[in-house]
Amino acid sequence: MTSPPHPGLRGIRASLRLSLLSFVADPQWLIPSSIAPVIFALASFEMFRGSGPTLVLYAVLGASTMSMWGQTLYGSGWATGQDRFLGTLEPTLVAPTPYIYVVAGRVIWNVVTGLVGGVLVLGVVLWAYGQPLPLTNGLVFLALFLVLMGSLAAVGLLFTALFVYTRFSGFIQNVGEFSFYIISGAMFPVILLPFWVSPFSLAFPATWAVDALRYVGIPGYQGLPFGLMGDLLGTLGTSLAYLAVALGVFRWVEHHLLEAGTASDY
Amino acid sequence: MLPRSSDVIEVTRLTRSFSSRKGFLFQEKVATDALRGVDLTVHSGELFGLLGPNGAGKTTLTKILSTLLLPTSGTARVLGHDVSREGSAIRPLIGLVLGGERGLYNRVSGRENLRYFADLYGLPSRDVAPRIREVLDLVGLTEAADRRVEEYSRGMKQKLHLARGLLHRPPLLFLDEPTIGLDPRSARELRKLVRTLSSEGVTIFLTTHYMFEAEELCHRIGILARGQMVACDTPSGLQQLVGGEGTVEIESREFEDSELSRLRSLPGVSRLLQEPLGTHLRVTLRVRPGDWEPSSLSGALAAHPDLFVRERRTTLEDAYLDLVEQETAS
Repeated sequence: MTSPPHPGLRGIRASLRLSLLSFVADPQWLIPSSIAPVIFALASFEMFRGSGPTLVLYAVLGASTMSMWGQTLYGSGWATGQDRFLGTLEPTLVAPTPYIYVVAGRVIWNVVTGLVGGVLVLGVVLWAYGQPLPLTNGLVFLALFLVLMGSLAAVGLLFTALFVYTRFSGFIQNVGEFSFYIISGAMFPVILLPFWVSPFSLAFPATWAVDALRYVGIPGYQGLPFGLMGDLLGTLGTSLAYLAVALGVFRWVEHHLLEAGTASDY
Repeated sequence: MLPRSSDVIEVTRLTRSFSSRKGFLFQEKVATDALRGVDLTVHSGELFGLLGPNGAGKTTLTKILSTLLLPTSGTARVLGHDVSREGSAIRPLIGLVLGGERGLYNRVSGRENLRYFADLYGLPSRDVAPRIREVLDLVGLTEAADRRVEEYSRGMKQKLHLARGLLHRPPLLFLDEPTIGLDPRSARELRKLVRTLSSEGVTIFLTTHYMFEAEELCHRIGILARGQMVACDTPSGLQQLVGGEGTVEIESREFEDSELSRLRSLPGVSRLLQEPLGTHLRVTLRVRPGDWEPSSLSGALAAHPDLFVRERRTTLEDAYLDLVEQETAS
């Protein structure tokens, strides 16, 4: 096998591999980010229990999204904080591969490991309520799920730039995690939220992606008024916007680190 | 591409300031000048040593040259590229070894740490495993390669830092205090390795606290004090700065101010330095042999009990201390 020609691919590959090895060495941090989605899934399920079996899917989907997002934000932020704590941020910055690709690898890894929370939610819901999933179009659903993961990665990349920028970023985790649960529609349908929240919701790629998934997975679903294609375009457009902004922000953040000389602070 | 010039590092009037805040409610911005107009040139294949006390600016200069920090003003070119504007061109060509316990992924093995950085440095996949074996062998970590780094001693971590710095065969290597905290045997092994690398043509920029290390290893030495390059020469050239002068050391529990004044004014005394030595104080006199009269000492310290006096050759360390002292006094 030859080395990937693009430094970005090399960086992502290196970061994915190190994330896997670090995870195998210390998998305990997956537990806290899986607990909240299970609780939210059970609460949502209880609230909408009388509305039919499609609510199983609704709850599982929302909770999986929450799990993946929680994992993305905590895992990627934590890993960047660890880079500061371990003193590995400096040797990584001085390597020729731009740091954004290292972070991208971590974000992808954390979105994927966030699926563990989703599987856990599914297991708990099925164990507790024994209802079968009403999934009819499995392949399309799977493809859209990958789109959802991509959209979460795009948002995660931008958020992680803040962890690179400053070591005082703990509050970002809390604000970023719980506000996402609500405004993305993962926990409640966006339509139930106050009108003024809509612009924030629509600015999140995951809002569109989750809505698309629900269109495919839940018969008779009434979500955003743009339809499945509108949701897909919305996901793509906002994800690309996040990626473009993240690229610019990372360039600026790296320059700031070199200017302020704070890469070794922790 | 390497520059045509034989100068690998060219630094002109380089400054770097850091700002911080002090106070609680009403914070005040405080600027600290870490580098104050440094000029420096390092030639291709040279082993250049940078000496200086704590806070002199050694690490700041190393970080600027290795593209980890931007200068406030002045210029620095490394391998023909400007550090402020062409960092991405410099990074593949340099190796940076920042010493200490930090800077490694502790939960994974030494080999995996190297594997990660080999990818970040763009080593072709087929070369990664053999090159990792090669550098592990070079630093003597082959047997410990698959152990987690958290199980490594400080010396082993230091060797792994060095192995990482060498992975991509850089023509220029920055070593920031590589032997600090190492036991004498590990430090000696590391110095031997540095000499080997230098003999293979790698240009090495080494910062150290240890005079003997600089004297033993370096072709030229720069002395940095309070952010300024106060001298830059070969070890013997630096020694010439205090050349011909003798050194007299006097140790006692304490010295009166009047005694120090008398010592300063003795014929032939060009400089007086004081340093604490455990429960004692050491006063060092730099003396001109022609004018110095050893018997004058007993007159100046006639009433002083428990004196220990010795005369010795002036060393590079003396030259260093004099230069730093002069800069601090100014």
